[in-house]
Amino acid sequence: MTDDILTQRIFKMMAQLSVVRVPDIKMEHRLREDLGLDSVCSMELLSMLAEELDLDVPMEEAAQVTTVAGTVEMARRHLALKQAAAAS
Amino acid sequence: MKSPEVVVLGAGGFLGLNTVRAFLDAGLKPRCGRRPRGNVLGLRGLGAPLVVTDFTQPETLREAFRGADVVVHAAAHYPRFSTEPQETIARGLAELEAVLDAAVASKVPRLVFVSSTATVAPRDAAPSNEGDLFAVCPEWGTYHALKWNLEHRLRDEGRLEVVVACPAACLGPFDWKVGTSALLVATARGVPPPHPRGYITTVDARDVGQALVLLATSSAPPERLILANEAFDAHELLVMLAARYGAPPPPRALEAEAARVLADEQEHEAQKTGGRAALARELVDLIVHSPRLDASRSRSLGLTYRPLSDTLDAWDSWALRMGLLQRPRPEKSA
Repeated sequence: MTDDILTQRIFKMMAQLSVVRVPDIKMEHRLREDLGLDSVCSMELLSMLAEELDLDVPMEEAAQVTTVAGTVEMARRHLALKQAAAAS
Repeated sequence: MKSPEVVVLGAGGFLGLNTVRAFLDAGLKPRCGRRPRGNVLGLRGLGAPLVVTDFTQPETLREAFRGADVVVHAAAHYPRFSTEPQETIARGLAELEAVLDAAVASKVPRLVFVSSTATVAPRDAAPSNEGDLFAVCPEWGTYHALKWNLEHRLRDEGRLEVVVACPAACLGPFDWKVGTSALLVATARGVPPPHPRGYITTVDARDVGQALVLLATSSAPPERLILANEAFDAHELLVMLAARYGAPPPPRALEAEAARVLADEQEHEAQKTGGRAALARELVDLIVHSPRLDASRSRSLGLTYRPLSDTLDAWDSWALRMGLLQRPRPEKSA
Protein backbone atom coordinates (compact mmCIF):
# COMPACT_ATOMS: atom_id res chain seq x y z
CA MET A 1 0.00 0.00 0.00
CA THR A 2 1.40 3.40 -0.93
CA ASP A 3 1.70 6.18 1.61
CA ASP A 4 -0.99 8.18 -0.20
CA ILE A 5 -3.48 5.33 -0.14
CA LEU A 6 -2.75 4.63 3.51
CA THR A 7 -3.15 8.29 4.41
CA GLN A 8 -6.45 8.56 2.54
CA ARG A 9 -7.83 5.45 4.27
CA ILE A 10 -6.90 6.91 7.62
CA PHE A 11 -8.45 10.28 6.76
CA LYS A 12 -11.70 8.54 5.78
CA MET A 13 -11.80 6.76 9.13
CA MET A 14 -11.16 10.03 10.92
CA ALA A 15 -13.97 11.70 9.01
CA GLN A 16 -16.36 8.95 10.14
CA LEU A 17 -15.76 9.87 13.76
CA SER A 18 -15.17 13.60 13.41
CA VAL A 19 -17.20 16.52 12.10
CA VAL A 20 -14.24 17.45 9.89
CA ARG A 21 -14.51 16.29 6.26
CA VAL A 22 -11.72 14.40 4.52
CA PRO A 23 -10.54 17.32 2.32
CA ASP A 24 -10.15 19.49 5.42
CA ILE A 25 -8.04 17.06 7.46
CA LYS A 26 -4.36 18.07 7.70
CA MET A 27 -1.41 16.04 8.88
CA GLU A 28 -0.65 18.63 11.54
CA HIS A 29 -4.14 18.43 13.05
CA ARG A 30 -4.48 17.33 16.64
CA LEU A 31 -7.06 14.63 17.26
CA ARG A 32 -8.73 16.38 20.18
CA GLU A 33 -8.37 20.08 19.50
CA ASP A 34 -8.77 20.07 15.70
CA LEU A 35 -10.82 16.97 14.94
CA GLY A 36 -12.88 17.06 18.13
CA LEU A 37 -12.06 13.48 19.08
CA ASP A 38 -11.93 13.00 22.82
CA SER A 39 -9.68 10.32 24.30
CA VAL A 40 -12.35 7.62 23.96
CA CYS A 41 -13.04 8.51 20.31
CA SER A 42 -9.32 8.60 19.59
CA MET A 43 -8.92 5.08 20.95
CA GLU A 44 -11.89 3.95 18.89
CA LEU A 45 -10.30 5.46 15.81
CA LEU A 46 -7.00 3.68 16.43
CA SER A 47 -8.85 0.45 17.15
CA MET A 48 -10.74 0.77 13.83
CA LEU A 49 -7.44 1.36 12.11
CA ALA A 50 -5.84 -1.69 13.73
CA GLU A 51 -8.78 -3.85 12.70
CA GLU A 52 -9.00 -2.55 9.16
CA LEU A 53 -5.29 -3.03 8.53
CA ASP A 54 -5.02 -6.10 10.77
CA LEU A 55 -2.32 -4.55 12.94
CA ASP A 56 -1.43 -5.51 16.49
CA VAL A 57 -1.26 -2.13 18.17
CA PRO A 58 -0.93 -2.22 21.96
CA MET A 59 -3.44 0.01 23.71
CA GLU A 60 -0.57 1.64 25.61
CA GLU A 61 1.03 2.71 22.34
CA ALA A 62 -2.25 3.94 20.86
CA ALA A 63 -2.83 6.07 23.95
CA GLN A 64 0.28 8.12 23.15
CA VAL A 65 -1.00 9.14 19.69
CA THR A 66 -2.42 12.65 19.69
CA THR A 67 -2.14 13.89 16.09
CA VAL A 68 -3.09 12.93 12.56
CA ALA A 69 0.60 12.62 11.67
CA GLY A 70 1.16 10.41 14.69
CA THR A 71 -1.70 8.17 13.60
CA VAL A 72 -0.29 7.78 10.09
CA GLU A 73 3.19 7.18 11.48
CA MET A 74 1.91 4.51 13.86
CA ALA A 75 0.10 2.75 11.01
CA ARG A 76 3.21 2.92 8.79
CA ARG A 77 5.40 1.50 11.53
CA HIS A 78 3.09 -1.41 12.28
CA LEU A 79 2.53 -2.18 8.60
CA ALA A 80 6.31 -2.35 8.19
CA LEU A 81 6.57 -4.65 11.21
CA LYS A 82 3.83 -6.84 9.79
CA GLN A 83 5.53 -7.03 6.40
CA ALA A 84 8.87 -7.83 8.03
CA ALA A 85 7.28 -10.59 10.09
CA ALA A 86 5.59 -12.04 7.00
CA ALA A 87 8.89 -12.00 5.09
CA SER A 88 10.89 -13.75 7.81
CA MET B 1 -17.72 -32.03 32.15
CA LYS B 2 -18.02 -29.68 29.20
CA SER B 3 -16.67 -26.16 29.75
CA PRO B 4 -19.40 -23.55 29.59
CA GLU B 5 -19.67 -21.36 26.51
CA VAL B 6 -19.52 -17.77 27.75
CA VAL B 7 -20.20 -14.45 26.06
CA VAL B 8 -18.88 -11.30 27.74
CA LEU B 9 -20.72 -8.14 26.72
CA GLY B 10 -18.62 -5.02 27.01
CA ALA B 11 -15.47 -7.09 26.74
CA GLY B 12 -13.35 -4.15 25.57
CA GLY B 13 -14.25 -1.96 28.55
CA PHE B 14 -12.62 -1.65 31.95
CA LEU B 15 -14.44 -4.46 33.72
CA GLY B 16 -14.77 -6.40 30.48
CA LEU B 17 -11.03 -6.58 29.90
CA ASN B 18 -10.41 -7.71 33.46
CA THR B 19 -13.22 -10.26 33.14
CA VAL B 20 -11.99 -11.70 29.84
CA ARG B 21 -8.52 -12.07 31.33
CA ALA B 22 -9.98 -13.82 34.38
CA PHE B 23 -11.83 -16.27 32.12
CA LEU B 24 -8.65 -16.94 30.16
CA ASP B 25 -6.73 -17.47 33.40
CA ALA B 26 -9.41 -19.97 34.39
CA GLY B 27 -8.84 -21.87 31.15
CA LEU B 28 -12.00 -20.63 29.43
CA LYS B 29 -12.06 -18.70 26.18
CA PRO B 30 -15.10 -16.42 26.18
CA ARG B 31 -16.64 -14.79 23.12
CA CYS B 32 -15.90 -11.11 23.46
CA GLY B 33 -18.92 -8.97 22.66
CA ARG B 34 -17.95 -5.61 21.23
CA ARG B 35 -19.86 -2.69 19.79
CA PRO B 36 -19.30 -2.06 16.07
CA ARG B 37 -16.98 0.88 16.69
CA GLY B 38 -15.78 -0.04 20.16
CA ASN B 39 -12.14 0.01 21.13
CA VAL B 40 -10.87 -3.57 20.96
CA LEU B 41 -7.15 -2.86 21.13
CA GLY B 42 -6.99 -4.46 24.56
CA LEU B 43 -8.72 -7.60 23.28
CA ARG B 44 -6.77 -8.19 20.10
CA GLY B 45 -3.99 -10.61 20.81
CA LEU B 46 -5.67 -12.22 23.82
CA GLY B 47 -6.78 -15.09 21.65
CA ALA B 48 -10.47 -14.89 22.49
CA PRO B 49 -12.90 -14.48 19.58
CA LEU B 50 -14.55 -11.10 19.02
CA VAL B 51 -18.24 -10.90 18.13
CA VAL B 52 -20.23 -7.79 17.25
CA THR B 53 -23.00 -7.14 19.77
CA ASP B 54 -24.92 -4.06 18.75
CA PHE B 55 -27.77 -3.34 21.17
CA THR B 56 -29.68 -1.58 18.39
CA GLN B 57 -29.41 -4.64 16.13
CA PRO B 58 -30.95 -7.56 18.06
CA GLU B 59 -29.96 -10.08 15.40
CA THR B 60 -26.30 -9.45 16.27
CA LEU B 61 -27.05 -10.33 19.90
CA ARG B 62 -28.95 -13.48 18.97
CA GLU B 63 -26.12 -14.56 16.70
CA ALA B 64 -23.46 -13.84 19.35
CA PHE B 65 -25.44 -15.74 22.00
CA ARG B 66 -26.12 -18.85 19.90
CA GLY B 67 -25.03 -21.95 21.80
CA ALA B 68 -23.87 -19.97 24.82
CA ASP B 69 -24.47 -21.21 28.35
CA VAL B 70 -23.89 -17.87 30.04
CA VAL B 71 -23.93 -14.22 29.03
CA VAL B 72 -21.93 -11.93 31.30
CA HIS B 73 -23.38 -8.46 30.81
CA ALA B 74 -20.73 -5.85 31.62
CA ALA B 75 -22.05 -3.36 29.08
CA ALA B 76 -25.10 -1.87 30.73
CA HIS B 77 -25.67 1.76 29.81
CA TYR B 78 -23.35 4.01 31.76
CA PRO B 79 -24.22 7.68 31.39
CA ARG B 80 -21.34 10.08 31.03
CA PHE B 81 -23.39 12.80 32.64
CA SER B 82 -26.26 12.74 35.11
CA THR B 83 -28.20 15.51 33.42
CA GLU B 84 -30.88 13.53 31.56
CA PRO B 85 -32.38 10.95 33.91
CA GLN B 86 -35.45 9.95 31.90
CA GLU B 87 -33.54 9.45 28.66
CA THR B 88 -30.78 7.60 30.50
CA ILE B 89 -33.17 5.19 32.20
CA ALA B 90 -35.16 4.64 29.01
CA ARG B 91 -32.03 3.79 27.05
CA GLY B 92 -30.67 1.55 29.79
CA LEU B 93 -33.93 -0.40 30.01
CA ALA B 94 -34.26 -0.70 26.23
CA GLU B 95 -30.75 -2.07 25.91
CA LEU B 96 -31.30 -4.51 28.79
CA GLU B 97 -34.54 -5.68 27.19
CA ALA B 98 -32.71 -6.31 23.93
CA VAL B 99 -30.13 -8.43 25.74
CA LEU B 100 -32.76 -10.40 27.66
CA ASP B 101 -34.89 -11.06 24.57
CA ALA B 102 -31.88 -12.16 22.55
CA ALA B 103 -30.67 -14.42 25.36
CA VAL B 104 -34.09 -16.05 25.61
CA ALA B 105 -34.35 -16.40 21.83
CA SER B 106 -30.93 -18.06 21.76
CA LYS B 107 -31.87 -20.30 24.70
CA VAL B 108 -29.12 -19.00 26.97
CA PRO B 109 -29.82 -20.44 30.42
CA ARG B 110 -28.05 -17.81 32.54
CA LEU B 111 -27.36 -14.08 32.53
CA VAL B 112 -24.75 -12.64 34.90
CA PHE B 113 -25.48 -8.94 35.16
CA VAL B 114 -22.96 -6.41 36.42
CA SER B 115 -24.87 -3.91 38.53
CA SER B 116 -23.46 -1.69 41.28
CA THR B 117 -23.46 -1.22 45.02
CA ALA B 118 -25.53 1.88 44.18
CA THR B 119 -28.54 -0.46 44.37
CA VAL B 120 -27.69 -1.64 47.87
CA ALA B 121 -29.90 0.05 50.43
CA PRO B 122 -28.39 1.15 53.75
CA ARG B 123 -29.37 -0.44 57.04
CA ASP B 124 -29.68 1.51 60.25
CA ALA B 125 -27.44 -0.50 62.54
CA ALA B 126 -25.53 -2.98 60.45
CA PRO B 127 -23.70 -3.26 57.16
CA SER B 128 -25.92 -3.95 54.17
CA ASN B 129 -25.92 -7.31 52.49
CA GLU B 130 -27.39 -8.88 49.38
CA GLY B 131 -30.91 -8.75 50.79
CA ASP B 132 -30.86 -4.97 50.87
CA LEU B 133 -32.27 -3.50 47.68
CA PHE B 134 -34.07 -0.17 47.69
CA ALA B 135 -37.82 -0.82 47.77
CA VAL B 136 -38.44 2.22 45.59
CA CYS B 137 -36.21 4.01 43.13
CA PRO B 138 -33.69 6.33 44.84
CA GLU B 139 -34.48 9.86 43.78
CA TRP B 140 -31.18 11.60 44.42
CA GLY B 141 -29.42 11.00 41.13
CA THR B 142 -29.46 9.54 37.65
CA TYR B 143 -26.86 6.85 38.26
CA HIS B 144 -28.63 5.35 41.26
CA ALA B 145 -31.99 5.58 39.49
CA LEU B 146 -30.65 3.87 36.38
CA LYS B 147 -29.03 1.03 38.29
CA TRP B 148 -32.13 0.52 40.44
CA ASN B 149 -34.38 0.38 37.37
CA LEU B 150 -32.16 -2.18 35.70
CA GLU B 151 -32.03 -4.44 38.75
CA HIS B 152 -35.73 -3.95 39.37
CA ARG B 153 -36.44 -5.11 35.82
CA LEU B 154 -34.22 -8.15 36.29
CA ARG B 155 -36.12 -9.20 39.41
CA ASP B 156 -39.19 -9.68 37.21
CA GLU B 157 -37.34 -11.81 34.68
CA GLY B 158 -38.64 -15.35 34.68
CA ARG B 159 -37.43 -16.66 31.35
CA LEU B 160 -33.82 -17.38 32.31
CA GLU B 161 -31.68 -17.51 35.44
CA VAL B 162 -30.39 -14.07 36.40
CA VAL B 163 -27.41 -13.52 38.68
CA VAL B 164 -26.58 -9.97 39.74
CA ALA B 165 -23.11 -8.82 40.79
CA CYS B 166 -22.88 -5.56 42.70
CA PRO B 167 -19.29 -4.31 42.61
CA ALA B 168 -18.17 -1.31 44.66
CA ALA B 169 -15.92 1.41 43.18
CA CYS B 170 -13.69 -0.51 40.78
CA LEU B 171 -10.03 0.35 40.50
CA GLY B 172 -7.22 -1.35 38.66
CA PRO B 173 -5.61 -1.69 35.25
CA PHE B 174 -7.44 -1.17 31.93
CA ASP B 175 -9.68 1.70 33.05
CA TRP B 176 -8.89 3.33 29.72
CA LYS B 177 -11.95 5.55 29.72
CA VAL B 178 -10.70 6.85 33.09
CA GLY B 179 -13.78 6.22 35.18
CA THR B 180 -13.17 5.72 38.88
CA SER B 181 -9.46 6.16 38.31
CA ALA B 182 -10.11 9.82 37.46
CA LEU B 183 -9.55 10.32 41.19
CA LEU B 184 -6.09 8.81 40.85
CA VAL B 185 -5.20 10.68 37.67
CA ALA B 186 -6.26 14.05 39.08
CA THR B 187 -4.43 13.49 42.35
CA ALA B 188 -1.26 12.24 40.70
CA ARG B 189 -1.27 15.26 38.39
CA GLY B 190 -1.37 17.60 41.35
CA VAL B 191 -5.02 18.60 40.92
CA PRO B 192 -6.74 16.79 43.78
CA PRO B 193 -10.43 16.65 43.00
CA PRO B 194 -13.24 18.34 44.89
CA HIS B 195 -15.27 15.77 46.78
CA PRO B 196 -18.11 15.52 49.28
CA ARG B 197 -18.06 14.09 52.77
CA GLY B 198 -18.77 10.40 52.73
CA TYR B 199 -17.31 7.03 52.01
CA ILE B 200 -15.81 5.13 49.11
CA THR B 201 -15.69 1.36 49.12
CA THR B 202 -13.18 0.02 46.65
CA VAL B 203 -12.69 -3.27 44.89
CA ASP B 204 -9.99 -4.41 42.50
CA ALA B 205 -11.38 -4.89 38.98
CA ARG B 206 -9.32 -8.07 38.66
CA ASP B 207 -11.14 -9.48 41.70
CA VAL B 208 -14.44 -8.52 40.10
CA GLY B 209 -13.36 -10.43 37.00
CA GLN B 210 -12.66 -13.51 39.08
CA ALA B 211 -16.00 -13.16 40.83
CA LEU B 212 -17.81 -12.99 37.49
CA VAL B 213 -16.05 -16.18 36.39
CA LEU B 214 -17.30 -17.85 39.55
CA LEU B 215 -20.85 -16.60 39.01
CA ALA B 216 -20.76 -17.75 35.40
CA THR B 217 -19.43 -21.21 36.11
CA SER B 218 -20.93 -22.12 39.49
CA SER B 219 -23.66 -24.73 39.42
CA ALA B 220 -25.63 -22.85 42.06
CA PRO B 221 -24.61 -19.19 42.19
CA PRO B 222 -26.32 -16.74 44.53
CA GLU B 223 -28.96 -14.50 42.95
CA ARG B 224 -27.14 -11.37 44.04
CA LEU B 225 -23.59 -10.84 45.26
CA ILE B 226 -21.88 -7.78 46.70
CA LEU B 227 -18.25 -7.41 45.61
CA ALA B 228 -16.53 -4.99 47.94
CA ASN B 229 -13.28 -4.73 49.79
CA GLU B 230 -12.07 -1.78 51.84
CA ALA B 231 -14.18 1.22 52.84
CA PHE B 232 -12.51 4.60 53.21
CA ASP B 233 -13.53 8.03 54.30
CA ALA B 234 -13.38 9.78 50.91
CA HIS B 235 -11.23 12.65 52.17
CA GLU B 236 -8.82 10.37 54.00
CA LEU B 237 -8.48 8.23 50.89
CA LEU B 238 -7.56 11.31 48.84
CA VAL B 239 -5.06 12.40 51.52
CA MET B 240 -3.46 8.96 51.31
CA LEU B 241 -3.37 9.12 47.50
CA ALA B 242 -1.84 12.61 47.56
CA ALA B 243 0.92 11.30 49.82
CA ARG B 244 1.41 8.30 47.55
CA TYR B 245 1.90 10.46 44.46
CA GLY B 246 3.79 13.27 46.17
CA ALA B 247 0.94 15.63 45.31
CA PRO B 248 -0.63 18.54 47.21
CA PRO B 249 -3.26 17.54 49.77
CA PRO B 250 -6.89 17.57 48.65
CA PRO B 251 -9.22 20.48 49.37
CA ARG B 252 -11.58 20.15 52.32
CA ALA B 253 -14.53 17.87 51.82
CA LEU B 254 -17.69 19.62 50.68
CA GLU B 255 -21.09 19.29 52.28
CA ALA B 256 -23.39 17.14 50.19
CA GLU B 257 -25.54 19.93 48.77
CA ALA B 258 -22.55 22.08 47.84
CA ALA B 259 -20.97 19.09 46.10
CA ARG B 260 -24.17 18.37 44.18
CA VAL B 261 -24.42 21.99 43.01
CA LEU B 262 -20.78 22.05 41.97
CA ALA B 263 -21.03 18.72 40.13
CA ASP B 264 -24.18 19.78 38.28
CA GLU B 265 -22.51 23.04 37.21
CA GLN B 266 -19.42 21.19 36.05
CA GLU B 267 -21.40 18.60 34.12
CA HIS B 268 -23.42 21.27 32.29
CA GLU B 269 -20.19 23.08 31.42
CA ALA B 270 -18.50 19.85 30.32
CA GLN B 271 -21.43 19.04 28.03
CA LYS B 272 -20.97 22.41 26.33
CA THR B 273 -17.23 22.08 25.90
CA GLY B 274 -16.97 18.34 25.31
CA GLY B 275 -14.67 18.03 28.31
CA ARG B 276 -14.95 16.22 31.62
CA ALA B 277 -16.37 17.38 34.90
CA ALA B 278 -13.73 17.50 37.64
CA LEU B 279 -16.49 16.34 39.96
CA ALA B 280 -19.09 14.00 38.45
CA ARG B 281 -22.57 14.03 39.95
CA GLU B 282 -22.56 10.23 39.94
CA LEU B 283 -19.48 10.24 42.16
CA VAL B 284 -21.03 12.72 44.56
CA ASP B 285 -24.13 10.56 44.91
CA LEU B 286 -22.08 7.41 45.35
CA ILE B 287 -19.92 8.94 48.08
CA VAL B 288 -22.74 10.70 49.93
CA HIS B 289 -25.07 7.71 49.85
CA SER B 290 -22.48 4.96 50.26
CA PRO B 291 -23.82 2.30 52.63
CA ARG B 292 -21.58 0.17 54.80
CA LEU B 293 -21.27 -3.12 52.96
CA ASP B 294 -21.11 -6.69 54.14
CA ALA B 295 -19.28 -8.71 51.49
CA SER B 296 -19.00 -11.83 53.64
CA ARG B 297 -21.10 -13.88 51.25
CA SER B 298 -18.56 -13.38 48.48
CA ARG B 299 -15.76 -14.43 50.83
CA SER B 300 -17.72 -17.50 51.86
CA LEU B 301 -17.75 -18.49 48.19
CA GLY B 302 -13.96 -18.47 48.19
CA LEU B 303 -13.43 -15.04 46.66
CA THR B 304 -10.53 -13.03 47.98
CA TYR B 305 -9.77 -9.34 47.66
CA ARG B 306 -6.42 -7.76 47.00
CA PRO B 307 -5.44 -4.94 49.35
CA LEU B 308 -5.73 -1.44 47.90
CA SER B 309 -1.95 -1.11 47.80
CA ASP B 310 -1.75 -4.00 45.32
CA THR B 311 -4.51 -2.47 43.25
CA LEU B 312 -2.75 0.88 43.14
CA ASP B 313 0.59 -0.71 42.24
CA ALA B 314 -1.05 -2.48 39.30
CA TRP B 315 -2.85 0.69 38.24
CA ASP B 316 0.34 2.76 38.48
CA SER B 317 2.23 0.34 36.27
CA TRP B 318 -0.53 0.33 33.64
CA ALA B 319 -1.15 4.08 33.87
CA LEU B 320 2.53 4.83 33.32
CA ARG B 321 2.47 2.79 30.13
CA MET B 322 -0.73 4.56 29.05
CA GLY B 323 0.73 7.99 29.71
CA LEU B 324 -1.90 8.74 32.35
CA LEU B 325 0.88 9.04 34.91
CA GLN B 326 3.84 11.11 33.85
CA ARG B 327 6.38 9.69 36.28
CA PRO B 328 6.68 6.86 38.78
CA ARG B 329 5.49 7.76 42.24
CA PRO B 330 8.12 8.89 44.72
CA GLU B 331 10.05 6.01 46.28
CA LYS B 332 9.27 6.82 49.90
CA SER B 333 5.65 7.88 49.60
CA ALA B 334 2.76 6.00 51.14
